[in-house]
Amino acid sequence: MKRTFLAKRNALLSSTDISWDVAALACVIIILLVRIIAPYFFWYVFTPVFRVSDALTEKSQSFINSFGDTAALASKNEQLANENAALAVENKTLSKKLSDISSLSISPMSSIGILAGVVASPPESPYDTLVVDAGKDKGVTLGMEAFGAGGVPVGVVSSVLDDFSRITLISAPGTDTVGWVGQSNLSLTIFGVGGGAMNATVARSANIVEGDTVFVPGPGMLPVGTVTRVDKDPSSPSVTLRIQPALNLFSIPWVLLRDTGAALTISATSTTI
Amino acid sequence: MMRVILTLFIFISVIFFPWPLTAVVTIISSLYLPFLPFAIGIFADTLYYTPQTSFIPFLTIFGAIMTCAAILVRSRLKTSIIRG
Repeated sequence: MKRTFLAKRNALLSSTDISWDVAALACVIIILLVRIIAPYFFWYVFTPVFRVSDALTEKSQSFINSFGDTAALASKNEQLANENAALAVENKTLSKKLSDISSLSISPMSSIGILAGVVASPPESPYDTLVVDAGKDKGVTLGMEAFGAGGVPVGVVSSVLDDFSRITLISAPGTDTVGWVGQSNLSLTIFGVGGGAMNATVARSANIVEGDTVFVPGPGMLPVGTVTRVDKDPSSPSVTLRIQPALNLFSIPWVLLRDTGAALTISATSTTI
Repeated sequence: MMRVILTLFIFISVIFFPWPLTAVVTIISSLYLPFLPFAIGIFADTLYYTPQTSFIPFLTIFGAIMTCAAILVRSRLKTSIIRG
């Protein structure tokens, strides 16, 4: 007699259907227990996973944004094209002015300056000096001022060869520079202390605070740095200003050399390159 | 085999994908793997729950509710004449 076997079925749960999710639940409970019992081990294991997740998220976001920002990129492209056209017109205007100045027999170099690339800067060159690739052949003379990006004075030409020059930075030890600081343009003398740093001493009553800009004379008032710290001694009527240069003096790619009448007073000793 | 892949994908999505994707896939898969939402809820709270932000582990609770709902639906389907 043929017997029919009917499998017992649970209406709520079927072992054939729930095996994988129950296994997953068991694994998750084990992971939860690991986190509770050994949290450091848990995070030690999962930290690399999260880092991979972050990296993938960042890359996927940039990939998606490359499609999503097409309109914004087109708008920016149009804006840049307009700016480019305006700059081209301005360039033509300036070129015309330059040719007019040249026709008046005024040397344009005297008003623009000599652009010199920095060959060596600290630590390759001696401390707080720059070696630039412009010398006597290009019209560099002793006492010319060197300006960085934005017209920030960075030093004075202290040695000139045929093809190269050496610039002593205003932060060089033994270099004194006259300047002004604060809202009331208080006169002060800036002392180079080396390492791209400068100090100055002013009266306590001047109320110089951190963030005040320090200027030196030139064609107008030229910002040379910012007061980053004011050191006060209770027994002294003066305070010492710690000045950070406006430019990183050790990573300047080029300088503009101009003869400004040696407004900066430099007392650094001159040495050969 | 598909259930294994689906289970692994959902666990990976908890870490690598936005939570709405995980939630949608978990809800869909709960028809076949009823305890999976509860497991995913516990796993997500294991990774992301911090008592300082919320006293209640919502993800675990939502997972448990979804699991109960899935079991209920499956039971109704299995005991009815309409086979799930």
